Amino acid sequence: MMDIATVTTILMMASVTYLTRVLGYVALRGRTLGYRATAVMEAAPGCVLISVMGPDFVSDEPASLIALAITLAAATRFSVLPTVLIGVASAGVLRYWLG
Amino acid sequence: MSSIELDNVGREAKAAIGAEYRRGLAAALPVMVGFIPFALVLGAQAVQKGLGTIEVPLMTGLNFGGGSEFAAVDLWTSPPHVALIVAITFLVNSRHLLMGAALAPFLSHMPKRKVMPALFFMCDESWAMGLADARPRSALSMPYFLGVGMGLWGCWIVFTAIGAAIGPMIGDVEAYGFDMAFPAVLLVLLRGMWTGVRGSRPWIVSLATAALVYLTIPGAWYVAAGALAGTVSAWLFAEQP
Repeated sequence: MMDIATVTTILMMASVTYLTRVLGYVALRGRTLGYRATAVMEAAPGCVLISVMGPDFVSDEPASLIALAITLAAATRFSVLPTVLIGVASAGVLRYWLG
Repeated sequence: MSSIELDNVGREAKAAIGAEYRRGLAAALPVMVGFIPFALVLGAQAVQKGLGTIEVPLMTGLNFGGGSEFAAVDLWTSPPHVALIVAITFLVNSRHLLMGAALAPFLSHMPKRKVMPALFFMCDESWAMGLADARPRSALSMPYFLGVGMGLWGCWIVFTAIGAAIGPMIGDVEAYGFDMAFPAVLLVLLRGMWTGVRGSRPWIVSLATAALVYLTIPGAWYVAAGALAGTVSAWLFAEQP
């Protein structure tokens, strides 16, 4: 059974999320950017991704931090799949050992 | 050209589009593996907070933004505070504004009416992969982007629904290390964007800000705060060519 308040909230969430997806494109389409704006656009992707990971870098579990360091090292030389496998395995093993 | 030749051209073009779409799907597979534990946890948490087993895939399918969904479920009450949840959703997803803007130069070869619906599938990963793929050729391959995005979208819906259905039976996925799949994918994507120490200074600002905000302010503000601080620093660091 679906609840009206829940469905309303979900539909509104979906609407604002879609708005964020199209707004940047619509507002900046066909514009030439200055050097500062270009620098922002070049840096923005990495800034967003690394911000999403923020909590991982300040985990209070030593095992998770060591696993993250191993994963980071793996990411500098391997492609996605090996890095994922190394990350998952090191986190699993280290948490088992270090509690 | 005879109609048969024209037909062949059409068929070849269709085959090329299909190949690009499948290339996107294949590239998305490791990321899908990374999505699964998050999707299961989100579905399970959402049901605990009182969302129905149909409402969970409705949310994850229509909204398709993991960060905002975790934040929304975290804040969920029954009945939900609509304004609060919608505001937090917007803030967590405000990074899409920058992402869409960064993608815009690679979409100039396409009409707006085709780009607008496709942008529904833009999430952190599909965007980063699409952009990395687009840079060498200076144009986004739309079928590749859709292959990545739709693959991730389908995976997200299916596994959040499974999480909701089997919620109480799932143990702690963190204990097995599956949660490390997500940072692993993101780190590989970051390496692809690496242009040297100079170019990565705003990333350090973002990381430090996001970590600090995460430790001091409850909720999902750290994503917006980190992204904002990093991009502002990029503006300040920029040097006249």
